[in-house]
Amino acid sequence: MDNQNNGVWGSEAELTGDERFDKIVASEEFVSLPIVDQLGNDEVVEETQASRRDFLKYVGFGLGAATIAASCDTPVKRAIPYVVKPDSIVPGVASYYASSFFDGSDYCAVLVKTREGRPIKIEGNSFSSVTKGGTSARAQASVLSLYDTSRIQGPGTIADGKVTVTNWADVDKAVGAKLNAGSNIRIVTNTNISPSTKRAMADFSAKYPNAKVVTYDPVSSSALLQANASDFGRQAVPSYHFDKADVIVSFGADFLGTWISPVEFTKDYSTNRVIKNAKNAKMSHHVQVEGHMSLTGSNADNRILIQPSEMGAAITALASALGLGVSGPALNAKAKTAITKTAAKLKAARGKALVVSGSNNVGEQMLVNAINNMLGSYGSTITWDRASNQRQGLDSNIQGLIRDMNSGSVDAVFIMDGANPAFDIPNADKFATGMAKVKTSVFFGGTMNETGALCQMAAPTNHYLESWGDLEPKQGVFSLVQPTIQPLFKTRQAEETLLRWAGSANLNTASEQPYFEYVKQTWKNTVFAGQSKFATFNMFWDSALHDGVFETGAAGGAAVYNGNASAAAATVSKPSGAALEVSFFETVNVGTGQHLNNPWLTEMPDPVARTVWGNFIGIPVSWDGSNKMQALNGLNPDEVYGYADLVNVEANGQTAEGVSCVRQFGLPQNVVSMALGYGRTVIGQAGKNTGWNVYPMMSLDANGNTQYYAAANVSEKMGMDKTFPAVQYHHTMGVKAEDPNSGETINVGEKTSMTVGSGYQGGIVDRSIIFQANLSEVGDLAHKIGEFRKEANHLNDQTLYPFEEYSEKIYSQGHHWGMHVDLNACTGCGACQVACVAENNVPMVGRDEVARHHEMTWLRIDRYYYGDFENPNVVYQPMMCQHCDNAPCENVCPVAATNHSSEGLNQMTYNRCIGTRYCANNCPYKVRRFNWLDYTTADLFPANEADMNGEEGVPYGADNLTRMVLNPDVTVRSRGVIEKCSFCVQRIQEGKLTAKREQRGLRDGEVKTACQTACPTGAITFGDMNNKKSALMQNVDGDLNYRVLEEINTQSSVYYSAKVVNRDADLT
Amino acid sequence: MSATVSPIREPLIRGSKTYHQITEDLVSPTERTPSTAWVIAFILSVIGLATYAICLVWTVWQGIGTWNLNRTIGWGYDITNFVWWVGIGHAGTLISAILLIFRQKWRTGVNRAAEAMTIFAVVCAGQFPLIHMGRLWLGFFIFPYPNTRGPLWVNFNSPLLWDVFAISTYFTVSLLFWYMGLVPDFATVRDRATGLRRNIYNFLAFGWTGSAKHWQRWEAMALILAGLATPLVLSVHTIVSFDFATSIIPGWHTTIFPPYFVAGAVFSGFAMVQTLMIMTRKILNLKDYITLEHIESMNKVILLTGTIVGVAYLTELFIAWYSGYIYEQFAFYNRVFGPYWWSYFGMMSCNVLSPQIFWSKNMRRNIFVTFVMSVFVNIGMWFERYVIIASTLARDYLPSSWSYYWPSWVEIGLFVGTLGLFFTLYLLFVRVAPVVAIAEVKSILKSSGDQYTPKTREQVTGQKQQAH
Repeated sequence: MDNQNNGVWGSEAELTGDERFDKIVASEEFVSLPIVDQLGNDEVVEETQASRRDFLKYVGFGLGAATIAASCDTPVKRAIPYVVKPDSIVPGVASYYASSFFDGSDYCAVLVKTREGRPIKIEGNSFSSVTKGGTSARAQASVLSLYDTSRIQGPGTIADGKVTVTNWADVDKAVGAKLNAGSNIRIVTNTNISPSTKRAMADFSAKYPNAKVVTYDPVSSSALLQANASDFGRQAVPSYHFDKADVIVSFGADFLGTWISPVEFTKDYSTNRVIKNAKNAKMSHHVQVEGHMSLTGSNADNRILIQPSEMGAAITALASALGLGVSGPALNAKAKTAITKTAAKLKAARGKALVVSGSNNVGEQMLVNAINNMLGSYGSTITWDRASNQRQGLDSNIQGLIRDMNSGSVDAVFIMDGANPAFDIPNADKFATGMAKVKTSVFFGGTMNETGALCQMAAPTNHYLESWGDLEPKQGVFSLVQPTIQPLFKTRQAEETLLRWAGSANLNTASEQPYFEYVKQTWKNTVFAGQSKFATFNMFWDSALHDGVFETGAAGGAAVYNGNASAAAATVSKPSGAALEVSFFETVNVGTGQHLNNPWLTEMPDPVARTVWGNFIGIPVSWDGSNKMQALNGLNPDEVYGYADLVNVEANGQTAEGVSCVRQFGLPQNVVSMALGYGRTVIGQAGKNTGWNVYPMMSLDANGNTQYYAAANVSEKMGMDKTFPAVQYHHTMGVKAEDPNSGETINVGEKTSMTVGSGYQGGIVDRSIIFQANLSEVGDLAHKIGEFRKEANHLNDQTLYPFEEYSEKIYSQGHHWGMHVDLNACTGCGACQVACVAENNVPMVGRDEVARHHEMTWLRIDRYYYGDFENPNVVYQPMMCQHCDNAPCENVCPVAATNHSSEGLNQMTYNRCIGTRYCANNCPYKVRRFNWLDYTTADLFPANEADMNGEEGVPYGADNLTRMVLNPDVTVRSRGVIEKCSFCVQRIQEGKLTAKREQRGLRDGEVKTACQTACPTGAITFGDMNNKKSALMQNVDGDLNYRVLEEINTQSSVYYSAKVVNRDADLT
Repeated sequence: MSATVSPIREPLIRGSKTYHQITEDLVSPTERTPSTAWVIAFILSVIGLATYAICLVWTVWQGIGTWNLNRTIGWGYDITNFVWWVGIGHAGTLISAILLIFRQKWRTGVNRAAEAMTIFAVVCAGQFPLIHMGRLWLGFFIFPYPNTRGPLWVNFNSPLLWDVFAISTYFTVSLLFWYMGLVPDFATVRDRATGLRRNIYNFLAFGWTGSAKHWQRWEAMALILAGLATPLVLSVHTIVSFDFATSIIPGWHTTIFPPYFVAGAVFSGFAMVQTLMIMTRKILNLKDYITLEHIESMNKVILLTGTIVGVAYLTELFIAWYSGYIYEQFAFYNRVFGPYWWSYFGMMSCNVLSPQIFWSKNMRRNIFVTFVMSVFVNIGMWFERYVIIASTLARDYLPSSWSYYWPSWVEIGLFVGTLGLFFTLYLLFVRVAPVVAIAEVKSILKSSGDQYTPKTREQVTGQKQQAH
């Protein structure tokens, strides 16, 4: 028994081997274990069958096998901590940097949200006097294009549209060797509003005196610039003030969608459109004269329908009715009457009238100038102070270049980022032949396009989120572009490249960021010099960089009208007299084609047609008093089943084969419409096979200006498109027309659906989804809404469930989140929808999946036609989860995956969801979205990801580059679960935590949802319903507010204010 | 002694069978080499089963996106098939339990097969709530088991959860009932068998010896289970109908659903029994046990329930109009005239109009007509569920979200596949167990066997005189 503990002793008794101690130890302290004895006994061990060795063998094999089996292809996730943490980055906390977005046509002052050094979201910059915190869908989506896998990875040579990446030194040397001081260099760019870029081009020209900048725009305001040059001596676009106009007449100018500065105009326009209360309601009157149904037209009070070629006749008719003493071509009688009446309205609103035109005919634009001059618009609704720089391109510039190139007089062509004349001009083929004769061609674009494929060398520029720069959207209004991430690829800003090639002394190549110094220098010399607010440049620069924008005093001054209306009238376009004309228009999403590779935009439904992933031919709808609506040539009878007919469209000697049709209300019977910018061929995988290129169908007028319409032939049905990606089949909330038999006004929607198979719409008009009225009847509308809500609440009070009790005990405590959507402020632009996608990691699913109605958007904008069948009004209704306090979805989930928070949020617990879809079925608003396939590659199984647009291998969004855009605050949902709008709960949580940390209550307006911040008109207000002073409750107080389907007692938390239009019944 | 039998009752066992002959006739199909007809049917069924397996794997692997459901129509073929199969599963218990309590002797000829059909139909039905889940592998979340998540319980408000309980209870009780009935018959099979086969049947028969005590307990057990099962017949489809009735969607949210669903279930269940029995009696040559009398009785039930269902359809339309509620009115107008008009037409013609021919006794007793009608009724009842589910969801509150649904090959494959599963199970069943309850048929031989039943009024009178 001695030395039990290997010579270690704990007490004297133990050391001396006192027997009593040993006894105590043996009996009380340590119970003797038989195994100890047994293991010591060799015989026992021998008898035991599994020896220790065997045991170890088995354990070893088991562990090894399990390890091998479990470790096959385990993905390695790298999380590398900062060795030296940058000051500005706190993991988990977003940093915002002011920057600016400009894509050649659409300007937005923005804040870039970055997380851990990654830009992930674009917000509006409310310091900007131009965009006032609003954004466009394109600006919202621009962050995705930063992570575009098809971006050019570095400088190199181009062959077959592919770049062989070398390095900058080689490219600099190669280009330098080809240029000499006398080289005829042409720098092709779309509208460039950057003072520093212009300076860089000027510095380049200093070295190469024969270098010239060719500025053109795919959808140009060429005629407007020329007309202004002629009438005012200024080749510029003036500043339009839609907020100051009582009567707005637009001749085809899509100023809410794409024309000049849509975000700015939308904001201004909406200030005169919002009606909070029926009492003393006032709003501007907006007349749109157009061929196709544009986004702006859909918001107009009255639309006057013409064929696109009648635009000249229409403008002349107005000028003549206003007494300008001009005469022009004949206009269709209906439009003529309406225009005469419009003239009277305009006259009455002298000084508060505004006439704009999107026409690209110089004579027409000059006539519009004459009209505005006569109406006293200059100085009130139109000013030359702060004239816009946002359109500078002349169509004749690019045509001149084509001539020069083909004559062989151009040595080198530089294609700036965004410019794509080999695609986006009517005679792109001639541009291509010209390019073949140019000895040196360099492509500065960040992603390959049709023009880049014709170039020899690539010198890719940075994405704007990686760049320094500056913009001057309007004279005296400056904004800065600052990088928010290191360049992801071996790219270099085009300006720096130009300056290096020119060996310019103004570029300090020794500095770390040469172009940054250059921009700073520009500002020091110009903006800083032109201001008096700041004493030192450093203070000025810090402030400007922080705010992102800076304005100098009034700039631009006045200009005197000196035009000749009669001469102008002689050159307006003549009606073609064609039986059918096609109108080409720019969409708010993919623009002129430069955004076609951005799935957030290609999958954003066209606001009017509600189609995605392509351009479809909009065909007019007619009704002959029978039981069926007809579309052009009887096409698309099965649209309601998701089938579109395919036709061939022939215009200007070009044929687009197999174009899908979409029924479009509001088109005159002799007009079809088609979006431009689609059908690109040299583009990343995401943009492939989307639509048809319609640029070749356009033609140039005598002044070389592109005309965005053509006489067209639409063939009979050539086939059927069974994957017709429209997100909304049903179009109307009851359109009315005169019954040819009885002469009474009847509901056409109802009448045409009383036949077997086409669906009954009788119950649609009275549904409590859309409340709308004319301004003159707004009092009745308020009364109607009041009655409806009274009745609904009476019905809801009959419930057996103690809703009042919940309301008192739970929802009236703390926060109770709610939202207000103003249907009058909403123009349907779709910025909110893209913002929601960006904020909440909503996956894009591709054309075929959308055709199967598998789109995942949490927020959609429903579009309904109502009113006159042939010339309807449109209401846009943003529809997201209504966060019902008595939610039908919550009751039915068997596993309680969707439930209600004490703050009134309808919550979705993805981890708990087993995907029965019962909640989606039982949602009256149909806002719940199911992950049908593995759209996000977040799945349990590998190798079953759905492809988005025919990509092979890694599906879209699964690569590490594209995934950088994901918002780390929002879970990426896996296959088989339901998801939906969360009221941006991550933002609520962030706001609450901030307030808690600062030991104060949450302030009203501190938490804003993504859709709210994106909206250029402020149509969406989010807030706390328990805070009666909140902006939300101020809006909810109005008597035009209602809740959608209030009578079914869902107790939704989203309020809508009714749609009111200022329609003049005489004007149609 | 002849029992007291109403002189107008037809005999239920024909061919002057003795007890031994009954045993011979009913056990021999499990002992013979299968007939060519059986082999062909079995091959077809297994092909169907394989289709099912393929489609199931594809669905789980790829996702529910392989089906054509969409953001508006979250349920289509899946739940249609579920409700349809559950409905079919109603006849067995109704025949065994309710008809047992009412002492309907004609049930003995068909109850075994009907109960088997019930079990297999519920097995088929049970597939769909599982595979329609987006994440099948987490399906165990629907069971209220103790867990470490809080504990996090299921949502007892959800009708889908009620379904879980209703279906599992129904399945358990039906299985018990069926198996209990089989015990004495398994013993009969055992007694004739040898070797391994004997051992297996001995095990299956729970050591049944046929003692008086066994019989007494067996009878008591039958009554107890019948008592338990009777409310289930009504409750299961009532609860299934709650999936729709408790929702907020116009066209689903109707109080008529529980009785209407139960009637529909019995209707389709009897039709399926007819389909199976007509085939079985032909293939296994059981015409003496499954007589025209049986067929006629079941046709009467079909006529009754079909008419009940018809009245329910019309009531729905009337109430929609009478309610003055536009969404409801629209939903039903759309059901009849909307894009799914063809399925409403199919439902009305198969379920309401066609069974009316059973008012004619000749038709009720015509095997061919009965067979065709039974198939019709099941088509019609399938359409009914499709109308309720797909056409209602396709056109609900917000017109912007309206859409149209058409099944994908996977969904069709799954439906066809469950038919394969069903017939595979049924065909195996007829090979291993007596398809007619031997013991029960023997129990009515002396009251309803044709040799004991007076054939004419004269014989009845003769018997009475003899008795005096």
